Amino acid sequence: MLRVCQKTVQRKVVKVDDILNAGNIPYVSEASVSVEIETEDMTLNIGPQHPSTHGVLRLVAKVDGEKISSVEPVLGYMHRGYEKLAEVRTYPQITTLVNRIDWVSGFANEIPFIAATEKLMDIEAPERAQHIRLILTEMARIASHFVFNGAYALEIGALTPIFLAMEDRERILDLIESVTGGRFHPNFNRIGGVKPAAGSGPTTKKNIQDLPAGFYQETRDAMEKVLEAVERMEDLVGGNEVFKVRTKGVGIITKDLAEEYGVSGPILRASGVKFDLRTQTDFLPYDKFDFQIPVGENGDCYDRWYVRLLEMRESAKIILQAIDSMPSGPLQTKVPKVIKVPKGQSYVRTENPKGEMGYYVISEGGLGPYRLKIRTPSFSNISILPVLLEGQLLPDLIAIMGSLDFVLGDVDR
Amino acid sequence: MNLSNGTEFVESLSSKFTNLENTFDTLKIKVQPEEWVDTAAKLKEEFNLTYFSWLSAIDWENEVSVGDPPKEPVSPHFEIVFCLSDSIEGNVVLVSTEIEKEDAAIQSLVDVFAGSNWHEREAYEMFGINFINHPNLTKMYLPDDYEGNPMLKSFELISREVKPWPGEVDVEGMPEDGTKESS
Repeated sequence: MLRVCQKTVQRKVVKVDDILNAGNIPYVSEASVSVEIETEDMTLNIGPQHPSTHGVLRLVAKVDGEKISSVEPVLGYMHRGYEKLAEVRTYPQITTLVNRIDWVSGFANEIPFIAATEKLMDIEAPERAQHIRLILTEMARIASHFVFNGAYALEIGALTPIFLAMEDRERILDLIESVTGGRFHPNFNRIGGVKPAAGSGPTTKKNIQDLPAGFYQETRDAMEKVLEAVERMEDLVGGNEVFKVRTKGVGIITKDLAEEYGVSGPILRASGVKFDLRTQTDFLPYDKFDFQIPVGENGDCYDRWYVRLLEMRESAKIILQAIDSMPSGPLQTKVPKVIKVPKGQSYVRTENPKGEMGYYVISEGGLGPYRLKIRTPSFSNISILPVLLEGQLLPDLIAIMGSLDFVLGDVDR
Repeated sequence: MNLSNGTEFVESLSSKFTNLENTFDTLKIKVQPEEWVDTAAKLKEEFNLTYFSWLSAIDWENEVSVGDPPKEPVSPHFEIVFCLSDSIEGNVVLVSTEIEKEDAAIQSLVDVFAGSNWHEREAYEMFGINFINHPNLTKMYLPDDYEGNPMLKSFELISREVKPWPGEVDVEGMPEDGTKESS
């Protein structure tokens, strides 16, 4: 099937015969990348300030006409050296740092670090704190996927969904803010539990230990809205013919390729691997709730978009169940005033909205870790770009990159 | 409770690898540097650990210019660690080896797991470890003319030198205490 946009032909930048001869090019879009297509083997610099790079990623692409012959991502524009900084900080201080790794879902970054530290200290958060952690993690997932849904449609060329998605996300951020006091960087987890909630009355010791008034009802309403928004997004974006053509069959990642590169999260599941670390955590009570793990078939851009959309629905269901079965009890387990972690090594990973997020904590018994290795999903997820983009069309580059849903803070750390 | 690694898996591993640690739900195999690539290939083929998670290094050193030194003296060396997992049951394993700091080098895993490419580049620039047979061993994050390997324990954190932490003690008392300790 050959589709050539009329406008592109009129601009005389692509000759139909060339496309036929090049073979295996199903579609040429009119995405306005300002490049002289008739030039052979030119080097095209994309970024670091390109809007579709979600931060500051730079790609050095070698293009032959509209076909990409090789791509070399250049990282480091957002490198903040968190692994080094963690070595000079105490354990409670590090949660502040790790919030800022993936800023679209700040809360989800804290969980594996806290869990690894708690494992080393041999303590467990109270059940109520675990429930609150789970609810906020799922809220962070919904917020992150809303951003993806809006931004991805925008990159493909649809302007409306981003406004709808941002409005819907705002409700989730308001809820996170009502509990934690922060919209993006909650810094809400404490070793051994969670911080007493903000906005829950005067700061006397009796009243601070709970969620804000009206939180349950507001959450229920917001989740209903999320379910509606997913439905609407499915129609608005998924039902759009242009969106389908731009994404279906584009940027296919096979199961083997994904695993070899450590690609995780929705991208791996879109390639048909039913692998979700939420089913393997013992520090968040996911086993108590009933939810599905959406899995794709083709591993193309459309599947990656669709898997994330369905995940939002499942997350909303988990939150609704967790609200209904919220146990009572304390928010904090007893921990020493000065937190010292016994000597030991622990690697804990969880399902971040973007994939496998893990912390390898090496403690030598001091106030801070001797070494903290931060495994972030986006770093491995975009390491596949050079392989994936080779031989693709230039307009598809945006569609493929967008579908990987990376955040540069998560790549560079 | 450990949900990630089943007991059967741990037993089958311990029959093949003698130096196995299982502490804090973290399974770690220690191997010799010569067995590095073979171990990765063996785990991939025989134990179905096809998912490459990460690779990194640890600088073990008694004299440190950042953070606290190890409690008990260690012999200075690099420990290199990589993490593999399977994508069905969620078994996860760390493999580690120790190499000399002088002319630190080890075989690259790129032939077994292509995904180790970027992780090895990061370890190369942060620790100065040379990965033999790596296709493109260049800097990952830092500028080309940057000197030094920032993650080494001997590498000073300049901002800390300029302004040590914690600075002036500025802890405020709790409201109900009625005291204010701030300076």
